[in-house]
Amino acid sequence: MTGSSLTQVSAAWVPLAAVLLLAVAAAGAAFDGAVAARAEGRPWQHGAGVPVAETARLLRQRRRRTVAADRPLELVGTGGLVVVALLMVVVVPLGRWTLGDLPVGIVWFNAMDVVVWALVWLAGWGPNSAHALVGGYRFLAQALAYELPLMFAITAPAVAAGSLAVGDVVAAQEGLWFAVWMPVAFLVFCGAVLAFSVRAPFSAPAGTDLAGGVLADSSGIDRWLLLAGRWALMAAGSAFAVAVFLGGGHGPLLPAWLWSLVKTAALLAALVWVRRRLPTVRPDRLLPFGWVVVLPLVLLQLLVVAVVVVGRG
Amino acid sequence: MGLRERLTTAAVRRVAVLVVEVPGWGRTRCAAEEQLRRRGWRPALTPADADALLVCGVPGARLAAAVDLVWDQLPGPRARAEVLDPAGTAAALDRVVAELSDDAAQRADAASRPGEPAMGIEAGADPAQDDAEDMDHGDDDPEDDSEDMDDGDMDMDMPMPAGIPLAGGGDARDGLEMDVLHVPLGPVLPAWPAGLVLHCTVQGDVVQETRAEVLPPDPAAEPDGDLVPGSPADRCDRAAGILALAGWADAAAAAARLRDDLLSPGNPGACRSALERLTRRVRRSRTLRWTLPGQLHGRLLALLDEAAAALTGTPTPIALLPLDDLAPLVTGQELGAVRLRVAAAELAPGTLVRSGAGLS
Repeated sequence: MTGSSLTQVSAAWVPLAAVLLLAVAAAGAAFDGAVAARAEGRPWQHGAGVPVAETARLLRQRRRRTVAADRPLELVGTGGLVVVALLMVVVVPLGRWTLGDLPVGIVWFNAMDVVVWALVWLAGWGPNSAHALVGGYRFLAQALAYELPLMFAITAPAVAAGSLAVGDVVAAQEGLWFAVWMPVAFLVFCGAVLAFSVRAPFSAPAGTDLAGGVLADSSGIDRWLLLAGRWALMAAGSAFAVAVFLGGGHGPLLPAWLWSLVKTAALLAALVWVRRRLPTVRPDRLLPFGWVVVLPLVLLQLLVVAVVVVGRG
Repeated sequence: MGLRERLTTAAVRRVAVLVVEVPGWGRTRCAAEEQLRRRGWRPALTPADADALLVCGVPGARLAAAVDLVWDQLPGPRARAEVLDPAGTAAALDRVVAELSDDAAQRADAASRPGEPAMGIEAGADPAQDDAEDMDHGDDDPEDDSEDMDDGDMDMDMPMPAGIPLAGGGDARDGLEMDVLHVPLGPVLPAWPAGLVLHCTVQGDVVQETRAEVLPPDPAAEPDGDLVPGSPADRCDRAAGILALAGWADAAAAAARLRDDLLSPGNPGACRSALERLTRRVRRSRTLRWTLPGQLHGRLLALLDEAAAALTGTPTPIALLPLDDLAPLVTGQELGAVRLRVAAAELAPGTLVRSGAGLS
């Protein structure tokens, strides 16, 4: 059974979707490099090549192992992030087309982002190294702070659309984006995207003060998978936010698929900008903030949305 | 063939360099960091992250052993260079890129290395107990704790996976029993005082006990010189360290740029306005105020204000922190907080080493 008015394309398109996701992720990394180059007083063009240079560097680098590393679990953790990001975009429509028009697409996305808990933790556990392990613990503490607000934030559009299918949520935004009348849920979701992709202000698990934390002992292709996985998660999160909060493919003039892409790129750029503007917040500061401030706020948002929906009949 | 060459060219465009500062060569380290920034390269955080090892100064025996161990942990392709004065950094980095681009030599290097990771040398040995040995004092890399998990009072019948004794347990501050690990911080660690080793006893992420020492440079070598303690450049260097550890890369880059501008004879007016901009940015950041532990946000602002005062000709006298006072400052803190507090402490390893206070 399909959940909505979207066209479900055949599985043969999966490689193209993967390439598209990695391209958007690379564009995000390039923009990040350009902003960083500006901050260092160099022309931005110098920084835009960072993803290419870093990829070449890591492809050429040997893999370094540590004593008594838990190799299988380490591989699951490092390789898993890209896979989870790909599984996330399965339910994200590009204009009218989607790979998997699940009736419970929103729950699917949520399930995938919970898998990130295990993956980052395993990436920290694997190398048998104190800094990486503490990084893994930090991610769990951080995940406790952001996960519940994230769940309630993506519940709001589902309640408003009366469906858990992403296609229905997009269709319900014709004329008015959900981000406009549920701004708190939108902002909380954007924060959660930064958090599950381990970006500032939520980058403590990979913090400089831990010598790179979960990244401390990874090298070569392992490191590339971790870095690319973080960028891909950020891109996938942005794409999902576009579908459930920013009207998906709705927009004038341009075709729907292009609107999806343009909005995703714009949101990703905004998230990169935020990440460069802010320092890292310690997880022990984050936990009380997440539960005492953000969680009540997002529940209130959900209440408002529910009242509006009931009021509309 | 063409593909491999192109990959190599792309791979050495942004080299990650692990910079090691030997006590007494602070100015050389700053010059190296400036060179990295100009070239669009980046400082590496760990040996696993690094393509190249750049040693600023002539290390003494123990520091040299630590540097050698770190060198063994670079994944490769790898290059190593030594530099003794600020003027030599550009040439040293040119050598690095030539060495990294030499595919044949890198292959030979890779083939000559053991495939399995090796156990490191022990760091935790207390010099008071066995001062006759040399190798035992050699320190190791902070990122690889695996060789440091030994607990002094452990039973030798315990299982030892890969030759590593299991960690012993101990009561943590919450009353839970947690594993006790011995993790040395330093001497090769970015944003960290030169040559400092903090022998930490860690439970979870809390540092329960510490002992600090400074690994000296080669006594026969003549140090090139540190930043003048209390000078505007020194203040900015410390601020850059704190900001980098706080995860605010762009503000740290601004502080490091300012430091380098202050070190080069140039336009003090431009420095003053850049310093004002940075101070305003730091003062306004509520996130930074919220996340920095203790009084560190105030300390950071004080550093920038002192830099401004020194620029206008009224330097603030500073009191250097004796090494023995470092342990009480950091004991009982979380690892990240320890790093921040050490970066903010008024330590000057070069001075300590010269006066003999840091030697153990």
